[in-house]
Amino acid sequence: MLSRDVDHKKRDILFFSLPYLTVYVAFMVFPVVYGLYLSFFDWNILSTKVFIGLKNYVEAFRDPEFLSSFSHTLQFVLISTPLIIVVGFIMAMIAVRPTKTGKIAETVFFLPYMLSTSVVGTLWAWIFQKNYGLANQVLTSVGLSPVGWLTDPAVAMTSIIIATLWWTAGFNMILFSAGMKQIPEEIYDAAKIDGAGSFTTLTKITIPLLKETSLLVLVLQVIASFKVFGQVYVMTGGGPYGTTRVLVQYVYKTGFSYFRLGYASAMSIILFVVILLVSVIQLFRKSDNTQ
Amino acid sequence: MKKMTGLAMVALVLASIVPIGAQSTQKPLEITFWSLFTGGDGEFFDAMVKEFNASQHEIVMKTDTVKFDDYYTKLTAALAAKTAPDVVVMHQDRLSTFVPNGVLLPLDAYAQKAGIDLASFEQAPLNNCRIDNKLYAIPLDVHPLIMYCNLDLFAKAGITKLPESLSELFSTAETIQKKTGAEGIAADNTTATYKAYTLTRMFLSMLMEQGVTVFNADNTKANFNNEAGVKAYQALSDMVNKYKVTPKGLDYDSSVADFKLGKAAIHFNGVWVTGLFEQQPGLNFIAVKFPALFGKNAAWAGSHTFAIPVQKTIDEKKIMGAMKFIDWMTNHGYLWAKAGHVPTRKTAVNTPEFKALPHRSDYADAAKYVFSTPATPKWPQCYDAISDSLEEAIANGRDAKTALARMEQTINDILKK
Repeated sequence: MLSRDVDHKKRDILFFSLPYLTVYVAFMVFPVVYGLYLSFFDWNILSTKVFIGLKNYVEAFRDPEFLSSFSHTLQFVLISTPLIIVVGFIMAMIAVRPTKTGKIAETVFFLPYMLSTSVVGTLWAWIFQKNYGLANQVLTSVGLSPVGWLTDPAVAMTSIIIATLWWTAGFNMILFSAGMKQIPEEIYDAAKIDGAGSFTTLTKITIPLLKETSLLVLVLQVIASFKVFGQVYVMTGGGPYGTTRVLVQYVYKTGFSYFRLGYASAMSIILFVVILLVSVIQLFRKSDNTQ
Repeated sequence: MKKMTGLAMVALVLASIVPIGAQSTQKPLEITFWSLFTGGDGEFFDAMVKEFNASQHEIVMKTDTVKFDDYYTKLTAALAAKTAPDVVVMHQDRLSTFVPNGVLLPLDAYAQKAGIDLASFEQAPLNNCRIDNKLYAIPLDVHPLIMYCNLDLFAKAGITKLPESLSELFSTAETIQKKTGAEGIAADNTTATYKAYTLTRMFLSMLMEQGVTVFNADNTKANFNNEAGVKAYQALSDMVNKYKVTPKGLDYDSSVADFKLGKAAIHFNGVWVTGLFEQQPGLNFIAVKFPALFGKNAAWAGSHTFAIPVQKTIDEKKIMGAMKFIDWMTNHGYLWAKAGHVPTRKTAVNTPEFKALPHRSDYADAAKYVFSTPATPKWPQCYDAISDSLEEAIANGRDAKTALARMEQTINDILKK
């Protein structure tokens, strides 16, 4: 009797996860495996595939555009990740307050995240437009000189990071505030009785107790930042002269504009391995800390 | 209630069995097509297709317009799967990506069979659609790089003659800039939402004016690190860095907006902005072919063409229907000219309808001087790379020798792969 129940349970688990598994295999596992396979070929979709071994990988490490795109992505990850996490955290602190302003703030902070990449990109491209954009209108109206937000190579990446921050910090806020709401109120009450100020409460209670959440946010944010593409594509097109071209954009161009599917796949696999390594390192550090 | 439903069901079934009139026996041939036109262009194109459908009863054209960004991606996938529509619109410079893979039909025999008079086309754009002497597409239009001049600013500065040489171009721009405070030449030289393709288009045109093509004859090497290249690059760099008649860091949108708002005397762009400028109240301008800055006339041009994909099974009837559609569309090019483009067919240009359009006839002769971009599948990538290189070199004021040597290296690396 008992073993039949177990059998049923197994069957049910399989049955209920089947729809998801089907989609997951068809749209995640298969493309990844097929991408790996393609990365050893020279193929333009219309031609017959020619096996060229590791040549695509060798080419990547000699291709100045791949290397520069990779370094732009890295630059974006290093600057945007801590910024978006910290701002998301601050937003969460404001949003968890059980007041009306807290509720309004939560909505306001999260709203941008619901917009699509092209909307966000177009919006900020117009704000940052050099001659007619809002940002420069504001600057010149207070007597400052206009900035080439998207056209000055020294500033363009910063502009993209500002747009990304506005767009995605709200997602981290949701994760953080969910974590904050799980911290029992009694702990804060006890701290108050012991005379702890708000700064001490933050550093000794909130932050340590949010360790699990923070790790989740960090891993997700690093992955998301490595995959940066849409807002760059819309806002600067990788310009001025390729100084903001990021890796996924180069992969996209190579694959779908220049139709070098094999080479594009090889570059994707390299990015995949890098993201995998970074995520695994972060998770390992987590298990070290918890021991 | 139940009875009513039952009756209705019977009526429905009966209606589906009984043939409705004689129409269904003469069902028109349905031909599918894809076009890449959106915005202003799209409206004119759709109106033409509608008119074609209404003009006869044998053929009905069916479409879904694909978003331009994804057009070639989707088209390539469809061509690979042999599920592409019966007719497609394609830029002439993309032909060399597709033709070597055998996915497009050679059209010479079909054109003859359909009675399309190829001699009635402007020969330059038509021949640009030939690869290995076979015709793979029929051009609907050319959209060359041209020069827009603000006549009010010219008059204000006391200039009565349009610039016809390089020195005249710079002196005109300098004079107007000095006397009116307006921008001399609005030509984008920085990527923002669009790449600074105008630089490349001017560079290619200037090379060709000196009789030099951008690559060597078999498209294996760059061919601009030479005297002609130096002259062309120097002109572009001087425009921004020496004479300062074009602001540094100008992007495409700004260059268009500056001219549109009457803040710039001269503007270099494709013919497609003509319609936009016409709608601007108070903008008094003339649009003329790209000036012969280095002796003879030549202008970079894009060209929208019709091509017929190879299908799983070749349906002669559909191909002939498609040819009929192409014939009609090119013959009615004056309707398409409303979008600013230059018709490729003399039968469309020599119509009262075309001649009645303002501005178009001023630059219609530009079609004679268009040249094709290199016929290599690597061209889209090279086009981007040349744009990036020129933009970088001009922004940083590099000398011609350094700029051209670097650009040559980049291009040769791409062509070698």
